[in-house]
Amino acid sequence: MTISSIALTDNIRPLTEETALSVRHLSFYYGHKEALSDITLNIHRNCITAIMGPSGCGKSTLLRAMNRIYDLNPTHRASGEIMIDGTNILSPGIDILSLRKKIGMVFQKPTPFPMSIYDNIAFGIKLYEKLSRAEMAVRVEQALRAAALWDEVKDNLNASGNSLSGGQQQRLCIARTLAIKPDIILMDEPTSALDPIATQKIEELMVTLKEDYTIAIVTHNLQQAARISDYAAFLYMGHLIEFRDTPTLFSKPKHPQTADYLHGRFG
Amino acid sequence: MTQRTQSLTNWTVRGLTALSGLCVVVFTIAFAILLGYAAWPAFSSFGLHFLTNEAWNPVTDTFGALSSIYGTIISAAIALVLSFPVSIGIGFCLSEIMPRRLVLPIRSLIELLAGIPSLVYGLWGMYVLAPCFQTTLQPFLIKHLGHFAFIGQIFSGPPYGVGLLTAGIVLAIMILPFLTAIVVDLFQSVPRLMKESAYALGMTPWEVTRSISLPYIKQEIFSGAFLALGRALGETMAVTFVVGNAHRISTSLLAPATTISASIANEFNEATSDMHTSSLIALGFILLVSTFLALVISKCMAARAVKGRPA
Amino acid sequence: MHGCARSQRQARVNKNLLRIRKAKNAIATAIALTSVGLGVAILMVILYEIVTQGIAYITADTLTKTTPPPGGTGGLANSIVGSLIMVVMAMLIAIPTGVMGGVYLSEYQRRTRWGSVIRFCNDTLLSTPSICVGIFAYEMMVKPMHGFSGYAGAVALAMIAVPVILRTSESFLILVPDSLREAAAALGATKEQITLSIGFRAARSGILTGLLIALSRIMGETAPLLFTALNNQFWSLNLSHPMANLPSTIYQLAMSPYEEWHKLAWAGALLITSFVLGINLLSRYMNSYSQRAEK
Repeated sequence: MTISSIALTDNIRPLTEETALSVRHLSFYYGHKEALSDITLNIHRNCITAIMGPSGCGKSTLLRAMNRIYDLNPTHRASGEIMIDGTNILSPGIDILSLRKKIGMVFQKPTPFPMSIYDNIAFGIKLYEKLSRAEMAVRVEQALRAAALWDEVKDNLNASGNSLSGGQQQRLCIARTLAIKPDIILMDEPTSALDPIATQKIEELMVTLKEDYTIAIVTHNLQQAARISDYAAFLYMGHLIEFRDTPTLFSKPKHPQTADYLHGRFG
Repeated sequence: MTQRTQSLTNWTVRGLTALSGLCVVVFTIAFAILLGYAAWPAFSSFGLHFLTNEAWNPVTDTFGALSSIYGTIISAAIALVLSFPVSIGIGFCLSEIMPRRLVLPIRSLIELLAGIPSLVYGLWGMYVLAPCFQTTLQPFLIKHLGHFAFIGQIFSGPPYGVGLLTAGIVLAIMILPFLTAIVVDLFQSVPRLMKESAYALGMTPWEVTRSISLPYIKQEIFSGAFLALGRALGETMAVTFVVGNAHRISTSLLAPATTISASIANEFNEATSDMHTSSLIALGFILLVSTFLALVISKCMAARAVKGRPA
Repeated sequence: MHGCARSQRQARVNKNLLRIRKAKNAIATAIALTSVGLGVAILMVILYEIVTQGIAYITADTLTKTTPPPGGTGGLANSIVGSLIMVVMAMLIAIPTGVMGGVYLSEYQRRTRWGSVIRFCNDTLLSTPSICVGIFAYEMMVKPMHGFSGYAGAVALAMIAVPVILRTSESFLILVPDSLREAAAALGATKEQITLSIGFRAARSGILTGLLIALSRIMGETAPLLFTALNNQFWSLNLSHPMANLPSTIYQLAMSPYEEWHKLAWAGALLITSFVLGINLLSRYMNSYSQRAEK
């Protein structure tokens, strides 16, 4: 793997590799409080990018800007640019529904919808495509297989999504996201509510998923970031301290604050 | 010495509070027994016929509850049919559409209005709404719907102003704040993360409400609706003013009618015979049983909702 | 080529789908906004009507004279006083019963069968139509005592207030954190001392809010008074006789054929509404104040 030349926040050079999403000079405000200031980084295609930092550093905020889920609260405001396929998704004219189809999201806790396992997947597909019953069944199976859940639920597709275990529920949520064929998947601490075994399954799943998708994951679990990510960003108090490929960031962090964080001196 | 006074206080506190708890149970049971006892003469002399007889005739001393039951059910049904969708609409608006700084004042206003005494709603209904309906809504309904084959029956006859429809509408207005307060709270109880993940799939606010929030709180919403139904069934003052107080069953919703509570409020003090009083109490007993059933159904639904929910 | 045409058609269908979904959302939003407008407008109209109709007739006479004779003029003074007396008496009965019942449920019977029986009975009383409470009080007090009385009216009102007070007291006492109770127990306090000193102090504002809610509820109750306190055209301070009260007077005045009486009924309605809303606002203010104090 070529080592990215991007370095500290004061030293940004464009990446040579293919970029799926690029954040440029992003600042974010909760009311008058600045939560992110002047963030610039690129999310690489078919890679896992981990966003790390102590709680309250703005890592979730950064993720939540990428599909504009923050729109739900009118006092939240972003400035700067987030470019996907040459369009700035922060511009007001953007079609939010199509944007969110393109960029899926998985949350801290599993959130199965109050419906059957089958419908949990089919519901999202129906939002964007008119399919026959048979086509739909194929798509649902594909999604469940992709999320490594098919074998566990194939005899039970009409059971409620709530009947699954926590780890299965989270994979259901991933399947639901995959089903609508996004380009990028945002994961906001997807394993924070799960036990170690379920966590391991999800991590393995993520590594297989990057063949087809681009993944950005927020995590406060350093080992997790080290295990699965290709690129890692370290955020502290709303600033991007360091962003580079994961092996380098973990072995030779350039910024002293990154080193402190990696050695557990704060956070 | 101090220890003895201390243990005396302890036993007093324990005893008095237990007594209060016992009081509640004793009164509830005494309530049902006393009403049943006082209603017994009517039930025993009219039998089941009491429930199916439409006639209510103090002159011949024969009484049947059917006209009152009919009016009670129809007016409560109208009230619920009108106020339920509006409360859902308000819930949808306050939870998904309106900016937060508008939500709180509207919520407070609605909760505040839930406290206005029903007497006041009745007074307004009689002096303002009924005359207004007599000259506007009712002639309109009669003119435009009255000549249809089936619906026409429902909207036929002269516009009295008062009647079942007016009573139902006043009831609807009265239970609206009550029901809305429940519904808005329920919408608020949908986990934020669940709604966010629905939005993250690209759902519109309406889709989130229809397919995620409403199914999630379905049981409790019906539970709340039955609570509101219990209120509408038993409501007295809002109805008595505007229902017309006529013991008969008319196919027309515009005709004067009566409800159980209105009959009791109107006739109890002027009852002509013991059988009249007993029959009125029998009406009250029927009302008591039906509101109790509404409560039980409401509680069952709420319990089921809690059971079906993930921890 | 065929496949290409097909996928183009599919893309068009999907684009339409998006358009239809957005249209549905717009329609639903419009309907919902209308229902908010409708609901708020109707309730504001009622409030407006009560204020404008009533305010003109709140005069010195209204507040100082007694119920008018048929066709004559008069005021609401005796009704107001009668109402206040009965409400105060009802609260004197209801506060100890309700609060102690709440204590019993939250401190002694939290997860017991007997506790849930009491809770269920209390909820039943809470949802009982007030007209039935009137009949009950009639059968229990008026009939044995051979006459309508202010006492019967007060008892009927108390029966409506008790379940409200009991429920709010219980729910606020339960909110008191167990750690607080345990800390007191560790110091050697008995259960009763804990309840009296810690529980009450922590839940004080909540319980007070419940009392105010109950007060505002019985202030406007009419149905339970019709066959208990009846009404009285004259000054009535004797609780063992029929007693004047504002709701019954409004009912009588409103149902009468006299124009003058109707005006007085509006004035009475405004008085009751402002009492009730005033108390409601006060309880809200207290509630938010205590919440802020806790933070």
